[in-house]
Amino acid sequence: MSIKKLFIFIILFSDFLLAQATIDDLNSNAEKLFENGNYFSAITEFKRVLFFDERSTYSFNANYKIGLCYKQGAFYDEAVKYFSFAEKSTNDIEKIFELKTQVIRCNILRKTTERAIQLCNELENDKRFSQFIGKINYWKGWAFIFADDWKSAEKFFQNSEEGTQLKYIAQKVNREKLSVTFAKVISYILPGSGQIYAGNYFSGFLSLAWNVAAGYFTINSFLANRAFDGIVIGELVWLRFYKGNVENAEKYAVQKNLEVSNKTLKFLQEEYRGLKP
Amino acid sequence: MISRTTLFFILLLGANLFAQKSSENLLDISNRIKFGNYLYKEKDFIRSIDEYKIILQSYDDDTIKFRFAKSFFNLHRFNEAAENFKTLFLSQSLSEEAKLFYFQSYFFQNDFSTFRKITSRQIYFPERYSKEVKRLISISYLLSDEKLPEQKSLLESFDDSLQTRLYLFYQLKKNPPQKNPTTAAVFSALIPGAGKIYTGEISDGIIAFLATTVSAYLAVNNFQHDHNFRGWLFTGLTSFFYGGNVYGSFLSAKNFNVTAKENLQTEIKTFFEKRNYTMPEIDF
Repeated sequence: MSIKKLFIFIILFSDFLLAQATIDDLNSNAEKLFENGNYFSAITEFKRVLFFDERSTYSFNANYKIGLCYKQGAFYDEAVKYFSFAEKSTNDIEKIFELKTQVIRCNILRKTTERAIQLCNELENDKRFSQFIGKINYWKGWAFIFADDWKSAEKFFQNSEEGTQLKYIAQKVNREKLSVTFAKVISYILPGSGQIYAGNYFSGFLSLAWNVAAGYFTINSFLANRAFDGIVIGELVWLRFYKGNVENAEKYAVQKNLEVSNKTLKFLQEEYRGLKP
Repeated sequence: MISRTTLFFILLLGANLFAQKSSENLLDISNRIKFGNYLYKEKDFIRSIDEYKIILQSYDDDTIKFRFAKSFFNLHRFNEAAENFKTLFLSQSLSEEAKLFYFQSYFFQNDFSTFRKITSRQIYFPERYSKEVKRLISISYLLSDEKLPEQKSLLESFDDSLQTRLYLFYQLKKNPPQKNPTTAAVFSALIPGAGKIYTGEISDGIIAFLATTVSAYLAVNNFQHDHNFRGWLFTGLTSFFYGGNVYGSFLSAKNFNVTAKENLQTEIKTFFEKRNYTMPEIDF
């Protein structure tokens, strides 16, 4: 072979050896980024895969992974959008169920819990997903946790195999939570008692003292036949302390309940090993 | 008759051409441009920036440079947008548009004095969009607390259909409805509640008047009837109501002024926001 021919051969053959980024390469690169937790770049690369994937070979996987990446970055609206795109690329019931639960989980995390519960109800009524009823109850339970309705959460965890531990946690929260109505009612009967019930002893006793003093001056005015004085002191002083006492009882009870919920949510976030939204 | 070597070359060439088609390099410049433009079109500007950055390292194209700068602009990263629009000042086709967006990048940073200083540099001034820049300068006065120029020069660059509203904004900026806090406090000191009525809080004024006068009457009446404790109790209440009302009137007037100013600013801003600050829609 002449040198000229050899040169042409090398040029032509070298083209085979040069690196060519194919759709498979793009996808494996995106997968690597996803596995390494580099979600921002993974989204870019999966979007590139979708853009060049003329045959829609990777449509389901890329959309699903983009959804997961957005979810990791707390861009829940975007995540929901891509999970919905992925749903259009598959007929597999298990995959569709997974995508639908991901949408529910996004709704739980973005605190649109009513929508999450509505979606759970839709899944429950869909005969295609009858074998997943336990899982549906599990996510419904989580939705109720985020809606701060621990009683309903307990009920749904009871009907889910995966939710046993969460059922006990919800039970504990329900035991620890105070009744806001009870705090208000006892404050109407004995001023300050609602605050004491909520654990704010100083505020409770102070409220009781103010009410006793204001009540004494009001009654004293009436007894001294100075009804107008009594009305004005009653309106401007006693009523103010009495109303304040009831409002405080409600506020402290709500605050206490919030503390209990937040403590448990922190525990669930940091310590709970089961599946989380 | 074709020799064996020639046949080999023909087959190799054919296979190579086939391989090129089936395994096209999806990361080459032309594909990167396609993907970058797709991201830009999808308004995923944070990613189109990354893609365009890679493209511009090895490919010089004014449209891509413009889109690169516009991506920063759309993400409200105005400093970077201005820097990148500046690189297009010598462009043959996009120079004027780049200059307009360069000014807009400064305008939207809300540092209006710097913006106006830059627009005064004639070398940067886009002749084709001179009216647009003049309008931006006028808007910058209406959105800031600085002294307004003459009405004619401020409003002349705007369309006739906007003149009535702009004239109203101009007048309100020039003579804003204000209440004097000291006057409000003095009014309330003379007649409890009068200061509040002066600042437009009529129901508050009436309540303050009643609460102060009733508790003052009760204080006097109780002292006259030797009910000293209740007398002092009502004296305390009267002082509380009276002092609170005088101070409250002072604050109410201040609040009135701040609210009126903020409302006017919000109204002006909303007016221009709805009209894209009277700027044309430019994209490539």
